[in-house]
Amino acid sequence: MLLNAVIFILQEVLEAALLVALLLAFSQIFSTSRVWLISALGLGFVSAALYAFNIALVSQWFEGVGQEVVNAVMHMILYLMLVFFIVLAMRPESTTNSKRLVLTMMLGVIVAVAREGSEIILYIHGFITIPDLLLPVVLGSVIGAGIGISVGVLFYYVLVNIDVKNGLRVGYVMTLFLAGSMVLQATQMLIQADWIISQYPLWDTSSLLSERSITGQLLYALIGYEATPTPIQMMSYFCALALMVVLSIVSRTRSKRPSK
Amino acid sequence: MFVLIRISHVCLVFTVVILMTSVVYAATPIINIEIRNHLFFPDEIRIPADTKVKLIIINQDPTAEEFESYELNREKVIAGNTQAVIFIGPLAPGEYPFFGEFFPKTAQGKVIVE
Repeated sequence: MLLNAVIFILQEVLEAALLVALLLAFSQIFSTSRVWLISALGLGFVSAALYAFNIALVSQWFEGVGQEVVNAVMHMILYLMLVFFIVLAMRPESTTNSKRLVLTMMLGVIVAVAREGSEIILYIHGFITIPDLLLPVVLGSVIGAGIGISVGVLFYYVLVNIDVKNGLRVGYVMTLFLAGSMVLQATQMLIQADWIISQYPLWDTSSLLSERSITGQLLYALIGYEATPTPIQMMSYFCALALMVVLSIVSRTRSKRPSK
Repeated sequence: MFVLIRISHVCLVFTVVILMTSVVYAATPIINIEIRNHLFFPDEIRIPADTKVKLIIINQDPTAEEFESYELNREKVIAGNTQAVIFIGPLAPGEYPFFGEFFPKTAQGKVIVE
């Protein structure tokens, strides 16, 4: 049970940890205060608990697919948040101590923690009734969370320690793919809910790189790796990326114009 | 810039097409699966190829479980003593394992598409 707990918690923590690392690194580069993270994490945990303890009710919404719809909405909020964030980040004048930037980052962390945290709460909560397994599960969870957070910390230090220009570039590319991954997951949830048509996958790379493997999991968290994507999923992924690139280029050219 | 506008047009059309594909299907077959003592009953279900199927997973345990399958691309939390709806398919013939992510040692099953 210990190993299962490590793997499960690691999967859940990894995605949120990468997002937090990315936003913190941007904060550091823009020399914005990072105090917002504490309140965002707090609000995130409260939202996670609220969602977890109302999961039965939420699941009944929309003829039994409420959970899928709520998760899809959360992923779309994260996508829009990342788009808005990158648009703001492209304008140097709007980055330093910008309230909008901080609020955007806070929203992102709250939603990410609520989404992943709710599953962790439900998981651990289940073992309270099984005292024999509670200790190994809690121990495994702590180890899993520790590994996940460490990966986040590692990413953070890599991003802030390479020079600012490259740090921004790497951060931008990471944000882009993370955003694509959010749309991919939202689409996946709506397919599961039968709101979007379910299609045959375009290809199957599971024999090359399994989604169960550590590399597969890391790539899933980083770029939304999916071994068997359907045409609609691929289209939404690339449209999400394209929209973000277009908007960030527009934002950048607009911010440059007045200074000329 | 022109290319960028072109891309956004394609994406817009694509979004409209997606929203229009919410077609109403005739009589989707329903299959019940129960979770008891962190086991799936039945742990093997057979469904026809190229058919959408509605799974109703009834969790009889007091603890939550998460139905998960990498092969089916499905993931859903089912609270204790509740039931959940999961649509799968249409699928190509083959075996698609699924498991309970909270109790993966015991909660194992597979969908056989034929």
